[in-house]
Amino acid sequence: MEAELPQSSEPAPEPFEFTGTGGDYFRIWIVNIALTIVTLGIYSAWAKVRRLQYFYRNTRVAGSSFDYHGRPVAILKGRLIAFGLIFVYNVAGRIDYRWAIAVAIPIAIALPWMLRQSLRFRLHYSSWRGLRFGFRGAMRGAYAVFMLWPILTGLTLLALGPLWHQRLKRYQHDNSVFGTTPFRISARVGDFYGIYGRALAVMVALGALGGITVFVLTLGAMRDGRGSAFAILLPFAFTIAFIGFFLLVGPYLFARIQNLVWNHTTLGPHRFRSTLRARRLAWISFTNMLLIVVTLGLYMPFAAVRLARYRVACMSLLPDTLLDEFVAGEQANVAAVGEELGEFLDIDLAL
Amino acid sequence: MTDRPVPQAAGFYFDGRTSARREVTLVLDDFNIVHVEGAGIDRFEPAAGIRVSEPLGGAPRLVTFADGAYCELPAQAGLDRFIAALGHSDSHVVRAQSRWTWAMASAVLLLIVILAGYRYGLPWAAAKIAERIPPSMVATLSDQTLAFLDKAVFEPSKLPEERRNHIADRFRLLTPPGGLPVPHAVLFRASPDIGANALALPSGTIIVTDELVKLTTDDDEILAVLTHEMGHVHERHGLRLLIESSVVGFLLTWYIGDVSSLAASVPAALLQAKFSREHESAADAYGARMLESNGLSSALLASMLEKLEASHGSPGAAAERDSVNDYLASHPATRERIEALRKR
Repeated sequence: MEAELPQSSEPAPEPFEFTGTGGDYFRIWIVNIALTIVTLGIYSAWAKVRRLQYFYRNTRVAGSSFDYHGRPVAILKGRLIAFGLIFVYNVAGRIDYRWAIAVAIPIAIALPWMLRQSLRFRLHYSSWRGLRFGFRGAMRGAYAVFMLWPILTGLTLLALGPLWHQRLKRYQHDNSVFGTTPFRISARVGDFYGIYGRALAVMVALGALGGITVFVLTLGAMRDGRGSAFAILLPFAFTIAFIGFFLLVGPYLFARIQNLVWNHTTLGPHRFRSTLRARRLAWISFTNMLLIVVTLGLYMPFAAVRLARYRVACMSLLPDTLLDEFVAGEQANVAAVGEELGEFLDIDLAL
Repeated sequence: MTDRPVPQAAGFYFDGRTSARREVTLVLDDFNIVHVEGAGIDRFEPAAGIRVSEPLGGAPRLVTFADGAYCELPAQAGLDRFIAALGHSDSHVVRAQSRWTWAMASAVLLLIVILAGYRYGLPWAAAKIAERIPPSMVATLSDQTLAFLDKAVFEPSKLPEERRNHIADRFRLLTPPGGLPVPHAVLFRASPDIGANALALPSGTIIVTDELVKLTTDDDEILAVLTHEMGHVHERHGLRLLIESSVVGFLLTWYIGDVSSLAASVPAALLQAKFSREHESAADAYGARMLESNGLSSALLASMLEKLEASHGSPGAAAERDSVNDYLASHPATRERIEALRKR
């Protein structure tokens, strides 16, 4: 291995870096929220563009920053449609479950289309060094990864979950382009199963630990003649298991999947390196959550910057040759409807 | 010519067609033309056709030309002067964002809007919306709820039919306060699960459990509970609560959504409990007025509340719960309500 001398003549890795600060972003965030409230939500589209521009332009690699070009009016239209659909669904759900189903079915059928639209919009309006990204995934693929695989995963009681995740990442990464240069992903299904398998083992261990603790404590309490202690402890055990999942298993999955995906993704001849650490991510998420609760939400922009800084710092671009030879592709406008629905329904495809 | 130094800035040029990055210097001449100079680049652009990005913290400023080519200008001495010389001035929003005083003013405004909206705006809007919900929709909603309750917690009433009819008939003869009729129907159900209780559905269906009827031999006390439930119907508390909690839940999920849905559910439950407290007191007041206008004493409701409290646990346990969880109680501390009724 050490004999491979040509390695050393490759260009040095280009680390990604994030230059934003909590203080700067806090001012942007709070002024935008105030304006959004004063304008009864209309301004939120402009606020969103500004937020994304803040994060994109403060993210740099190889001496150049990213940029976001989404137009607020397109986003506003998307938001209005999304808001209308969700409102109708909620109202229908309150009246009668049959109405809710009647509304939900067309939305569910349209959802893969909307999610594909969301991927297209986000990438199409992102750029680096003046070249746009793009998404060329076919509709068929969207219905496979956003409808067929989720259904199969449900039918097999989540056993196919890792396979679905791999198909989703493959659909996203294999269909993304920078200029005219395609991204390619080579992460295999077995790798996804490995990560989920370890996460499951941690969950089982946590569950067993919690179960034994509750059992022992309850036994002790019963011996003291306070059997009702069981009823008090049980919800605590569930809460601890729940928090444990969010604070340990969540960051573990996030970090490992992110590393797996980016370490197996190429852009033309160039490669990436992702070195997220689950423990560090868990610590950041936990302290962020704590501080957000303590400050009644005011810490939110600081938390977002802190998380972004760590996530961005863990990424590097491993250039094969010069990074000057990417070429721009065709440009076409993409409607924002899908993107906004994805955001409203709380589906984050940014991974 | 002037004595002032020529406005200029160093940066990188991107042509928008390839990812090539070229080091350039931008110089603004006396005729308001920007010269972009660097290796292999020699461009002239009138300052008027140039778009300048807003400052975003330490992010570079982007100077974009009409054909999509642009220059990235990293933070440097004299950059602000160069951008001002291009004729670019920041919008009011950008200026507000760059000052802590404005940020703080926004935070205060936000706090006021949220508190006022929650305390006054939301109940007001919910009451307005509740008035406009068509009766057919209210009926469907209530029927669904009743069907669900019948399946989940209720069993057919085991009370003798004449007792039930007697109570329902007597209640029908009472005049509501102000003489405004409230459409309603009284139903009886047995429920070992929820015990002595009464509840009102938005359509005016009032359900009384056998367990509650058995708490007393004085039918007047049962009428007192019915007047309280009638208060909920008249004030549309069920619908208002539904609307308020939906709005709060929706906004909280939207706001906190990306942090943790766990955190969102806790405050929603707290807020919902608080709404009920006010509603219970309002329903008590309505019930008391209804009783008084029919020549009955509002103390009937107070004594019934005492019996209900006793039926749901020993007074000691209740006292302990109240001290720990007073705010969480979905019924306001019952003692407070009893005192308020007795003082009338």
